[in-house]
Parts: sequence; C-alpha cells; structure tokens
Amino acid sequence: MNEGLNPIDLIFDASPAVQLVFLILLTLSIVSWMIIVQRWLVLASAQKGVLSFEQRFWSGMDLSQLYKEGTQMQREDMQMVGMENIFRAGFKEFMRLRQQSSVDGEAVMEGAQRAMRVAYSREEEKLERHLSFLATVGSVSPYIGLFGTVIGIMNSFLGLATQAQATLQVVAPGIAEALFATAIGLFAAIPAVVAYNRYSSTLDHVTSSYITFSDEFSSILHRQIHAN
Amino acid sequence: MNTPLSNLVIYNGYPLSIVAALGIHIVIFIALLYLQSAPEAQSLELIQPTVIKALFIDENPQLRNQQLREQRLVEQQQRQERQREAEQRQEQEVRRQREAEQQRLEQQQAALREREELERQRAFAEREERKRREADIERRRQQEIATEQELSRQQEAARRRQQEATEASAAEAARTEFELVQSATALIQRAVQEMWSRPPSARNGMRAILRIRMLPTGEVLDAAITESSGDSAFDRSAENALYRAAPFRELQSLPINVFNANFRSLSLIFEPEDLLN
Repeated sequence: MNEGLNPIDLIFDASPAVQLVFLILLTLSIVSWMIIVQRWLVLASAQKGVLSFEQRFWSGMDLSQLYKEGTQMQREDMQMVGMENIFRAGFKEFMRLRQQSSVDGEAVMEGAQRAMRVAYSREEEKLERHLSFLATVGSVSPYIGLFGTVIGIMNSFLGLATQAQATLQVVAPGIAEALFATAIGLFAAIPAVVAYNRYSSTLDHVTSSYITFSDEFSSILHRQIHAN
Repeated sequence: MNTPLSNLVIYNGYPLSIVAALGIHIVIFIALLYLQSAPEAQSLELIQPTVIKALFIDENPQLRNQQLREQRLVEQQQRQERQREAEQRQEQEVRRQREAEQQRLEQQQAALREREELERQRAFAEREERKRREADIERRRQQEIATEQELSRQQEAARRRQQEATEASAAEAARTEFELVQSATALIQRAVQEMWSRPPSARNGMRAILRIRMLPTGEVLDAAITESSGDSAFDRSAENALYRAAPFRELQSLPINVFNANFRSLSLIFEPEDLLN
C-alpha cells in the first residue's frame, strides 16, 4: 500500500450494493441541484415581478388602463407574472359582474374576491412546485449514505472473517469506501436543506405580499362599488 | 416584469438548470480528480506501542549459498566454453596444416611433372600461394574473433534477461510475503508478550536483545542474549518468556521459503515501555 487510495478508484472498486448507493445519491444530487437552480430563477423573477407590478399599480394609473396594458402584453405572447394574474382575475370578474345590473354590490365583491383567491392559489402552486423534493432529498440522502456505509463495513468485516490474520490493510479500503458513501450522502443533503430553507422563506415572503395585495385591491374595488 | 427574458426564465428554465446542475457536478468531480492526482498522499507511519519488537537479521545463509552456487555454475559454463573454443581452434589448425601438406605434395608432383618450366614462374606461383595462405589465415582468425564476441554478447543478454525475470517475480512475491511476515511476527510478539513477567527490577529504558533460532515447525532451537540489559534478572525473564511461549505452531503454516528467508534467525527486543517508573 505504497500509494494512497484514490476516491475515484474507491468508487469503481466498491461492491455492487455500495455502487448502487453511490449511483442513487449522485442522481439525487444532480436532480436536486437542477431544482435548486430552476427554483432560484423562478423565485427571483417572482420577487422582481412583485416589486415592479406594485410600482405600476400604485403609480396612480387608471385600473382599466392597467388591465388593457396587460391584455396588450398577453396578445404579444408574454406571460403574466404572479401578482398581475391575481389583479387581472379579480378585475375581470368585477367588471363582468358590474355590467349585469341585477347583481348587487356585495355579490360583485364576493365574486371578485373568489376569482382572486383562485388565481392566488394557482400562483402559489406554481411557486411551490418541486420544493418538497428538495426537502425529501435533504432528509433522506444522509440515510441512504448511511445505508451504504453499513453495507460497506459489513462487507469489509465479512472479508476480514476469511483472513487468518487481520491487518489494517485488509480492512482499511472497505471502511474508506463505506465512509465515502456517507460523505456523498451529506454532499447531496446539505445544499438541498440550505436551498429548501432559503426558498421556503422567499416563498412565504412572496405569497404574503400576494395576499396583502389582493386585500388592498379588494378594498379599492369596495370603494368603487360604494362610491356610486 | 414582463420581458421576453423573464418568460424564458420561468417557462424554459429547465434546460438552463439541467446544464448548471451537471456542470456543478462535473466541476466537483474534476476537482476531486485533480486534488487526488496532484499531492501524493503521505502514507501514515504506524507507530505501535510495542513492548517487544521482533527484528529480522539480514544475513541469510540459504540465499547466500544459492548465490554462490549460481556463481560457480556460471564460472563452470564459461570455463567449458573456453575449452571448447580452444579445441575448435586446435582442430582448425590441424586441418589447415593437413591441407597445406596436401598442397605441398601436389606442388611437388607438379614440380616433378613440370620441371622444365621456368624457375621464375615457379617462384612466382609459390609467392602467390604463400600470400593466399596468409590471407586465409588472417580471415579465419577474424572470423573466430567475431564468433567469440557474438557468443559473449548472447551470454550477457541471457544473463540480463534472467536477472530481470527474477527481480520481477521477487517484487511480486514481496508484497504477499511482507504481509505474511508481518502477521507472523505479530503473533510471535503477542505470544511472548503474554508470557513475559517482568522482574521488579525492570525499569523503563532497559533493553535486552534475544537472538533466537527456530525450526520450520515453530520450535525454538536456541536463544542467546546478544545485548544484555545490564540486569540479569531482566535478561532471564526475557529468556523464560520466550521458552514459555515456544513453540510457535503458527509458523508451520508459512511457506518454507518465507520461513527460511525471515524466521530462521530472529532478534527479539525486550523493552518495558509501559512501566510507570
């Protein structure tokens, strides 16, 4: 054993069960990183969208003007971002109900609020998608790594049993390989846990600003109904 | 923020994220490879807190004998070859003389038959003949030298090849042999250590070296103190421990060549390192 063990050799020399564990963990790690990057893009653009739409909304622009701008954008094949979808759903429902003279004010308000609630839950679902996978990876992959470690140590002790004299050289590669499984498990888990915590706090922030906005908007609509 | 870029980010963010995730993993993998290949991992020196150490004596009569025998064989071969060459040379010499005689006879006959020929012509022919013969001899000598050189070169190559082969096989065997020897010495150490009861006069820093000779059955042939600790009770206790621990039956399972190379004669160092005083 003149040259040190190479982790790469360790992976390829491992027993099939441990190699399977390595493979699973590697896949989990790649997928979780994929979700980390993708969610980062989505949540960052949602946060930016909240800021820019609030700016436009409170700039004193006429609401129907804002709605028309949105329609124009939709026609240009641009997708709406979070808060604007809520606004459009509520405003559309409000206008439609108001045109029917038979409907009274309370019913109009209720319909607009319902439409906003639906749009809100749709938006929330869009933001939340795949986050639970990160949580799963974060909590499960250390256990998978531990499983690989236990299997690896078991194998190396089985190999030890067949040896007449136990030397450190017989046991060491097996144990190193086993510990490497735990290392990979932690490697997959740590970024997933960090990202999950970070993203769920961002998600809370964004959704609470959606709720606040829809409350504010419905109070504006309420004022419009009772003004006439 | 309704720009085309943000739309792309939201709805087609997957390709970008897949590329990023794979990139991160590949970078980490390459970094791991690089880090492992760059600095050679230092092998840890295991320091065992042994009380008794077993050391090997380098001198090995069996091996030396074998080397001597090989040397002698080579010398013998060389001598034989030299003899053979000498014989060949003699034979050639004889043949040449015979040829020369025949030629001379023929010449005499020719001379008889052509006595009327001119003296000048005969002298000329004789001179020619002598020149030719000299050239012949010279050529033959050179040929001999060439064959001799060729032979010695071949021998040299063969010897080198043999040496390389033995070295390679030795290196291959050395590893397993090393492990065997290590475990066997550990066994001996443990057995002797268990049987060792130190006298009250033993102190840290005392050191007695016991040289033992063993048989392949694991029995101890004899043991002698080669370095005394200065305390006779201590020396005696070491000797007693050895005789009580002997025979080391585990050595029977060793291949005989490993035994001969390492355990024929073994030095045990007795050092009480674990005492408080």
